[in-house]
Amino acid sequence: MTKDSGNIRDVLTNLYSNSTANRYIAATVLALVVVFSYTGYDTLVYRHDVIQNFSEDNEWLVTFETTSDTMQQTVVLQDEETRDLTFDMADFSVPEGYRIGYIEAQIAGEETAGVLSGNQCDSIAGDIVRNELTAQWDDPSNNLSGQDSSCIPITLQLSIYPEFDGEDRTVSSINEFQALMGWTDDGWGKGILLLTLELDTNSNTPFVGVDDDEEITIDINVVMFRASVEAI
Amino acid sequence: MAELESMTPVAAIVCILLGCTSLLLLKRSPNRGWIDQMGGMMLGWIILFTGLSYAAKAVREAFEDSSVDLDFFRYSQNSFFLVSTILGASFTFFYPYPILQKSSRIKTAPYFVSVLSLVLIVSMLLLDYKYIGTTKIVYIPGFIVLISVYFRFLTDEIKNGDETARRLSFAAGLIIIALHGAEMTWWLAQLISINDEFIGRSAIESGVGDFSRIPTWIGYNVMTTIGAVATLTLAAGETWRAQVKGVSGFTIITYLILGVGLISGIADYAVLDIVNSCMYTVCNEFPESYSIWYTFTTDALVLLFTPLISMYVLLNFDVIDSGSEENRWLTRIIVILMLLIVSSTMIELLQSFLPVSQMISSAILAMVVAIFIGWEERIMQKLIEQGESISKKLSSLKEIHEPELDASELESFSKAMGALLVFTVVLCFLYSSIT
Repeated sequence: MTKDSGNIRDVLTNLYSNSTANRYIAATVLALVVVFSYTGYDTLVYRHDVIQNFSEDNEWLVTFETTSDTMQQTVVLQDEETRDLTFDMADFSVPEGYRIGYIEAQIAGEETAGVLSGNQCDSIAGDIVRNELTAQWDDPSNNLSGQDSSCIPITLQLSIYPEFDGEDRTVSSINEFQALMGWTDDGWGKGILLLTLELDTNSNTPFVGVDDDEEITIDINVVMFRASVEAI
Repeated sequence: MAELESMTPVAAIVCILLGCTSLLLLKRSPNRGWIDQMGGMMLGWIILFTGLSYAAKAVREAFEDSSVDLDFFRYSQNSFFLVSTILGASFTFFYPYPILQKSSRIKTAPYFVSVLSLVLIVSMLLLDYKYIGTTKIVYIPGFIVLISVYFRFLTDEIKNGDETARRLSFAAGLIIIALHGAEMTWWLAQLISINDEFIGRSAIESGVGDFSRIPTWIGYNVMTTIGAVATLTLAAGETWRAQVKGVSGFTIITYLILGVGLISGIADYAVLDIVNSCMYTVCNEFPESYSIWYTFTTDALVLLFTPLISMYVLLNFDVIDSGSEENRWLTRIIVILMLLIVSSTMIELLQSFLPVSQMISSAILAMVVAIFIGWEERIMQKLIEQGESISKKLSSLKEIHEPELDASELESFSKAMGALLVFTVVLCFLYSSIT
């Protein structure tokens, strides 16, 4: 055997000919094995198991606990009068952890309310006026205008929180936090709710006298929700 | 504060420029030994393929927000990366201490690299690169060879007083840094075993289904383990040497990586809540200072300084004949060009987050240019004068076999790599067209 024969066995014999160096090399290889073993356990066993929980989006059932706060205001309108009414949303009490889902407004005249006046039903119109109030103004479920002359209360609705309809729903996400994430935004329902009322009386009724005004009651009902999730 | 720009395009230019030039200079250096020829060719092609991979990545980064179809560049980036990985792993069997010395084995190298690269390129392409991390396993034997060379010749120098042995331990150490530099800066994170949490975050961010493959994770863990052990063993070796022989440039580089890894490990530990936020809440962004730190350490080391280390290996170990009149001007141009590109990129990066006006950064750049022009002669002299081929040292030890190989047989490696390059481009183009 010559040192420069080029055979792999001879080459390796040359390379590992220094016993002191071999000890350091062996220690290095041992360190490789040790470090790979415990970090490998962390990576390939523990972390892999953790990550597998996220390998497919989990299904979550989002449920809503609702509550509401109501404010009532009564006004008397003269025939053919138009009046703007404002409701500051800050005046409604929103419990901790709740968000405003939608606003309902019910407009009822005194005939509608059952007060016997003997008059024909007056024509009442009500509109929720678009303004700076943070809401879903273009939501198809909104009912921003109403008009009635048959003594039936007018009901208006404005959606506040995106996609909230009060119904439970199933969502896919990797964790509980992200499943809830769409239902924890702050900032919706801030501002002033502006309502416009218009009255047109029907005073041409025999034996009863002239009816040239109307007492109108407005009930503002703010529906609030708190979302919670559970894994399906 | 301006956003830090990607260094990938600069790295692509530097690598392609250096790869092409080193192959050209090697062709003009016919009197080199077979180790230098083979090692130089392999290193040149590694740099070139890495540069092409960076170029494809740079195109993807530039157009990622557009509607341009980038499949070709994705396939090219990964395929060139695979070839450079195989070449990098094979390189360690030929340089600095050739394990394969028989002419039959040297002649087989281009076929082995080409066939293995093709098999991996095609299989990874068909598997949509889900297992690309697995390929990093191929670095294990090469690392053991390099660390063996390092300790063998370090011991020869210190215990046996062989001053010329430093050349080989120095070369082995530099190549370890060039191949495993990024992972070496994560040594503390790997030792305290928190890299798995970063892997977990990447998995969730990338879509767990495609990322959490055990073989891929083995590949990543192998690389980070090699990096951690490499840093600590080189630091231990250099400390031992420094006590006997004094501090050298390589000792400082090793300590610098050790220090960077120490700070990175502490920083990694500090951001663990952010890392794990993906699992429990949503993936929060890392602090800007953390990103800047990694841009200037790990990213700069991999993208800018690794090509410089490769250039240093080519010149300092006399792989290319930089002393001949024919090569001298081209060597000077490439050295100054590379140093200037890297310096100006670092200055630009600094300017992007420090409140330094353009006037001042231009003045600093002008100073750097002046220093390089003024010291150009000295830098080159230092590189070339110190240059001594590794094969001379191995010949003096009578540990090198001189196989009967003519120049054309060695050049078949370059021809094979050229063919592989063309084939890879055509394959990526066709595959991106039909999918």
